[in-house]
Amino acid sequence: MDAGGDVIVMNQITKRFDDVVAVHDASLTVRAGEIHALVGENGAGKTTLMNILYGLLPRDSGDIRLRGEPVNFVGPAQAIAAGIGMVHQHFKLAPSFTVAENIILGAEPRKSLDRIDRAKAERDTAELGRRFGLEVDPRASVSALPVGLRQRVEILKALYRDAGIMILDEPTAVLTPQETRELFATMRRLAEHGRSIIFITHKLREVLAVSDRISVMRHGRILSTEPNQGVTAHHLASLMVGRSVLLRVHKTKARPTEDKLLSVESLTAIGDRDETAVADVSFFVRGAEIVGLAGVQGNGQDELVQCIAGMRRPVSGRIGICGAVSEHANPRSRRASGLAYIPADREHVGLSLSSQVWENLTVGRLPEFSRGVALMANAARRRADELIRQFDIRGARESTPAASLSGGNQQKVQLARELTRQVRVVIAEQPSRGVDIGAIEAIHRVLVEMRESGCAVFVVSADIDEIFALSDRILVMYRGRIVADLIADETDVEAVGRLMGGLHEQAEAAVEFESAARTGHVH
Amino acid sequence: MDSDLAYSAIRIATPLIYAALGGLLTYQAGILNIALDGFMIVAAFAAIAVAYATESLMLGVMAGIASAMVLAALLAVFSLRLRANIFIAGIAVTFLAYGLTALLLKGVLGQEGVFSSDRIPTFAPLRIPVIADLPIVGPSLSGHTALVYLAYLLVPVVAFSLYRTRWGLRVRVVGEAQDAASAAGINIFAIKFETMLLSGLFCGLAGAYLSLGYVSLFAKQMTNERGLIALAAIFFANGNPYWTAAVALLFGAATALSVRLPQVTGLAPQLLQLIPYVVTLLALVAVGVRKTRARNRHGAWRFEL
Amino acid sequence: MSTEALAARRRRASTLMDGLIRPVLGPILAVLIAMAVGAILLAAVGENPIHVYATLAEGGLVGWPNLSVSLQLTTPLIFTGLAVALSFRAGLWNIGAEGQMLMGALAAGILGYAVSLPAALHIPLCVAAAFLGGALWAAVPALLRVCLSVNELVVCLMMNPIALLLTGYVSARVLKAPGPTNKLPDILDSAILPNFSLFSQLNAGIFIALLACGVITLVNSATVRGFEWKILGVNPRFAHYAGINVGRNALAVFMVSGGIAGLAGAEQVLGVYKAYYDNFSPGYGFDGIAVAMLAKNNPTGVLFAAFLLGAMNAGSAVLQMTMGVSKYLVQVLQFIIVLVLAAQFSFSWLRAGARRRAASPQGEA
Repeated sequence: MDAGGDVIVMNQITKRFDDVVAVHDASLTVRAGEIHALVGENGAGKTTLMNILYGLLPRDSGDIRLRGEPVNFVGPAQAIAAGIGMVHQHFKLAPSFTVAENIILGAEPRKSLDRIDRAKAERDTAELGRRFGLEVDPRASVSALPVGLRQRVEILKALYRDAGIMILDEPTAVLTPQETRELFATMRRLAEHGRSIIFITHKLREVLAVSDRISVMRHGRILSTEPNQGVTAHHLASLMVGRSVLLRVHKTKARPTEDKLLSVESLTAIGDRDETAVADVSFFVRGAEIVGLAGVQGNGQDELVQCIAGMRRPVSGRIGICGAVSEHANPRSRRASGLAYIPADREHVGLSLSSQVWENLTVGRLPEFSRGVALMANAARRRADELIRQFDIRGARESTPAASLSGGNQQKVQLARELTRQVRVVIAEQPSRGVDIGAIEAIHRVLVEMRESGCAVFVVSADIDEIFALSDRILVMYRGRIVADLIADETDVEAVGRLMGGLHEQAEAAVEFESAARTGHVH
Repeated sequence: MDSDLAYSAIRIATPLIYAALGGLLTYQAGILNIALDGFMIVAAFAAIAVAYATESLMLGVMAGIASAMVLAALLAVFSLRLRANIFIAGIAVTFLAYGLTALLLKGVLGQEGVFSSDRIPTFAPLRIPVIADLPIVGPSLSGHTALVYLAYLLVPVVAFSLYRTRWGLRVRVVGEAQDAASAAGINIFAIKFETMLLSGLFCGLAGAYLSLGYVSLFAKQMTNERGLIALAAIFFANGNPYWTAAVALLFGAATALSVRLPQVTGLAPQLLQLIPYVVTLLALVAVGVRKTRARNRHGAWRFEL
Repeated sequence: MSTEALAARRRRASTLMDGLIRPVLGPILAVLIAMAVGAILLAAVGENPIHVYATLAEGGLVGWPNLSVSLQLTTPLIFTGLAVALSFRAGLWNIGAEGQMLMGALAAGILGYAVSLPAALHIPLCVAAAFLGGALWAAVPALLRVCLSVNELVVCLMMNPIALLLTGYVSARVLKAPGPTNKLPDILDSAILPNFSLFSQLNAGIFIALLACGVITLVNSATVRGFEWKILGVNPRFAHYAGINVGRNALAVFMVSGGIAGLAGAEQVLGVYKAYYDNFSPGYGFDGIAVAMLAKNNPTGVLFAAFLLGAMNAGSAVLQMTMGVSKYLVQVLQFIIVLVLAAQFSFSWLRAGARRRAASPQGEA
């Protein structure tokens, strides 16, 4: 096979889930030694297509050829054997096992009696790390590693199995800008060694920075494949959505009121891995303003929001909702104080996918539909139909199971339920994750409307563009602390990006911590 | 009296040890296997029936193992392939086994309540040369039958398999992070099926010991919830073979004590028979306290087990 | 016919299919498979399966004498089936109905002879005591689950033999009535639930069971609590997020479930045996699991499933008497049914119909 020739040819792949066509006649080719970006908005089918290539999902029709030979992978084991490796968006690591154990899993070096040759495993993984500049301590426990190092382990897993073709699924979602630059350098090194890399993302800036060729996917189809030179973000964006993208929602100048509807004072909380997730955080949100919390995922935002919503008990500090200050509370009392919390995890927290839409819309506001002990189910159903109309929730009647709605419509169900109560404080967590562009605009508009009506809106997002689209003020969270409190109009994406990456006054200390953490040798 | 107690404790704990070894393999693979009693009862029946018919202990034990493994395979197919809820399927398999063995007791062996016979061979006590002469511990450690020694010898074997071999690593990763194992190309179904079959094998030894070694009879539901007690030992020891065996031995000692107490005190037998169950409950409470203390540190709300 | 009328007729047909036929397909298939396996077992022990099943059916259903025995055996299963179904629906594994029933029975058995009141007060008192007894016994696994995250299933399975031993101790030692059997003294006439059949111990308790079924149906479908318990069963984290007090609700539903199982004990003591007898239960608590599964946790379905199993049990007694076939055959059949029901076959040909009818959701994958 000559250099630059086609290594992978996916031809007219189709994949259906019940009624929904996830991938439609998609054709993709990848050459040796190239970085091929697969872009598209959330829900376009990128991960599905790659899961088919990796053998995690069967395809309904079409064929795949690897170096000219047709292949039919029934599971990841076969794909791995054929030289395909995948670095997943949500890491597939076993936390209480060591780095070496995670890397060798599936291809463990053995001695007699099926014993694992630990010494060899540690030697090999250390050697592998050195060769590709991805050093991690083989003996470290994965649960103790920060996110950037965990991703290194994920990549090393694929390299250990000698993957000639690597699929990286939204790898930068959890990385600081500095870590992202290092990842891109790694990718270029690998490509220079003749490996092919398929890089899934929805962030256009990254695509232009690192790819050789770009394929755009929309609604399950591959619309075009073009070389990187001469392509603009605007052109790609219009391909992705079919029309020019409007990421700025129209909003009037901020005119916040005086009262601090959401106030957080000296909040400290412990995370699930016994780490200090939130360290002495204080801030406030006033009425009629939108405050955005920017930060790479995993810096304590989840734990902070859980504390405010009453789903996690902080170690110390106070939280006030509309003046009602309390140290400990539960979701019920927070809701009663006027809080609307729209969680990022729609599947397991914000909605019950196996329940019907009317049930999802009624939960949490049962007093409106109860008379004594009796439940007025018919009234609840009627109200659900009204809300479906009012919020333009497509593809649903009140009796439809929530699982059959798209991501954007599920998000609308959450909004319909929470924002039509008597609320003064709104917390929206990753509002556009897994949501198509059309729905994103509608959701952003709703949030701005809440602000216009005098609510305090607190948006937590890892998407910098979304933060800038919505916020009047921007807070940046890094390693459990608020490191900046800025007016949105007075700053820009680069500055916030640097802050997200931890480059601020305490730069010295941060750098020292970084280099120690880089190899996992943390004291 | 003390060495007598220790001797009894070792004997009584033996079926618990077997059951616990089997149960902990499935536990490490992330399966909550509550059908251990069911596996044991079919093995007890098959072992005594075959031993009676062939007058061979070896064939009896093998029949016990085989029958328990068949039942384990049934549970594995239903819960792993047909996606039945493991709790419901486990209960169904257990009560199925109870009913089946009672049915066959009548149908094949022609007995209503208890089956016993002089024709059934018994295990000979083994005198271990050096150990038997040890002061204090000698009489307790020597003189047990073969299956007793086998149980304790299997503990380090299971520990070795779990923590040093490739198969053991895969089992433990499947138990902790199934996604990671599957993405690494490991056949999850095969690993789980294998641990389930092994739990059948170990429970087969437990059941065969119950009807051939511990006593020489078969009675309906004679396992007396030993499978659940073994499960409690596994929870308490977090699936570690050595600690699990230690806890099982402790439970055995508690039961041995409860058997002797009527002679010492005047307490009714029903109250003393409570002891193993109450001790198990207390062990579960201790596990719960440990878990809750860990969770309270983080303050995160959790209702899932 | 106009398109609207055609569409309306198609909708009615589909609701019939969904509402009546599809839910029973699973249970029917399970019963058929169980009968097939049972036939093999019977042949293995030298019996004629057809003869056996015919005797079984006749012994349970044919003639008022047999039918009244079936109804008598159905009554406790309605209670335990309701109890288990209620807890399963809320996502909790109350496998302890057997022990809860024993405790309820003991409470009714004690108050039945120790207190003297007119029947209009005595019976409700004993029934209430039975409910309380079962509820308190169920509080143990419930509290351990809610406060300490202990697996309630294993605790329930421990509580069952503990209940048997404790009630055995009381009926054999502490409160034993004089005579050879281990029992408490007979209850007073004012506590007896009247029988209305000469051929069996079928008694007024069955009306209490039907009432309980009606109440639970109402609670499930028309009360706020019932709705909260359903959400709890679907996803506790979602329930917590929505402001439902998960711990308190879990405790409540578990205790109500235990109380209903306790009522089964009351019926047995006040209506069937007229005294508390040691070890009176042939396993009604465990059969309740089979009933709940057959009924898919639906209270109305519990009535049908309880009757199916009750008739099987009645028939099996006749079978034992006339043909000498062990009554354990029926236990084997029942738990094969449970096992088969627990499996989730993907009836793809059934779903094809559902696919055609469902509205196509708005696009994204």
